[in-house]
Amino acid sequence: MTRIEVPDLGAPATFGQWHVRAGDRVRAGDRVAEVLIAGAVIDVSAPASGTLAERTARAGDPLPPGTTIGTIEDRLVEPPA
Amino acid sequence: MTESREPAPYAPARALSVYLLGTIEFDALQALQRRLAFDVSGDRDTAALLVCEHPTGITIGRAGSAAHVRPNPHQLEARGWPVNWVARGGGAVLHVPGQVACYPILPLDALGLSPGRYVRELVSLSVELAREFAVDAVPDFERPGARSRGRRFASVGANVRANVTSFGLLVNAHPDLAPFWEVRCDGDPLPMTSLARESAHRVRAQTVRQRLVELIAARFAFDRVSVFHTHPALLPRHPYHARTHGS
Repeated sequence: MTRIEVPDLGAPATFGQWHVRAGDRVRAGDRVAEVLIAGAVIDVSAPASGTLAERTARAGDPLPPGTTIGTIEDRLVEPPA
Repeated sequence: MTESREPAPYAPARALSVYLLGTIEFDALQALQRRLAFDVSGDRDTAALLVCEHPTGITIGRAGSAAHVRPNPHQLEARGWPVNWVARGGGAVLHVPGQVACYPILPLDALGLSPGRYVRELVSLSVELAREFAVDAVPDFERPGARSRGRRFASVGANVRANVTSFGLLVNAHPDLAPFWEVRCDGDPLPMTSLARESAHRVRAQTVRQRLVELIAARFAFDRVSVFHTHPALLPRHPYHARTHGS
């Protein structure tokens, strides 16, 4: 499991929105979510390839630095044939 | 054991490519901006700055709402005011001729800046710009931008993707202010003002553009600035039948 953590953005941050759903496959570097600070939108990238296992943040949640907003199951789950 | 080093406030000796584009449609600007952000994300020793003005239209950032736009969709269509919902900070913004729109495309990690610091730098920079025109300006960090006598004349709304910035700063140089009664820019109840209205001096968009470029280059420690008046991506493409055979 790899946690998706919000870095220190230098300003109070809140969660914006998800771009992927739980169960979606992601690749490292894919844009998975948006975090808001006053005057800017920061795209959060997937830290690893795999399947988004859990989304733990919702729109408007305050996000202190280091907050985990979701987890990625590192093993890519192939869709059924 | 690796020793963690405090990043320098700004990285030294970088070059900034400035594109003075004149009036450009918002869609064309967005396409160029995406391309340059892709280029900068692949080479973090580079940076770009798009400076332009847009035909009348509205963009709405993540903090905006359709409720901030007074005309209904039919009225907007009749006036020819397109509305674009965009992934940037800030709220609704009215674009009109006479504004200076600045889109810095900067690698924040290479410059040692956090997104929060970057926004604050743009706010401070717009205040510094206004004071050069003898405008009594104050920063607004809550709704990032700058005000004079209570009304906003500059708005900051950025996007940061893979540590590369896009969108940025809008400054009212000398636009017609009447349309601002129709849009609550950044949710502010008062209509925006302009440097020309607040200054006793003559304010020309050309001078504002020039000073903005100089202030951005200085504030983010770019010691070399290359200025272009177009970008190859904006040039008209040859029709298919006119291309070299096999290309």
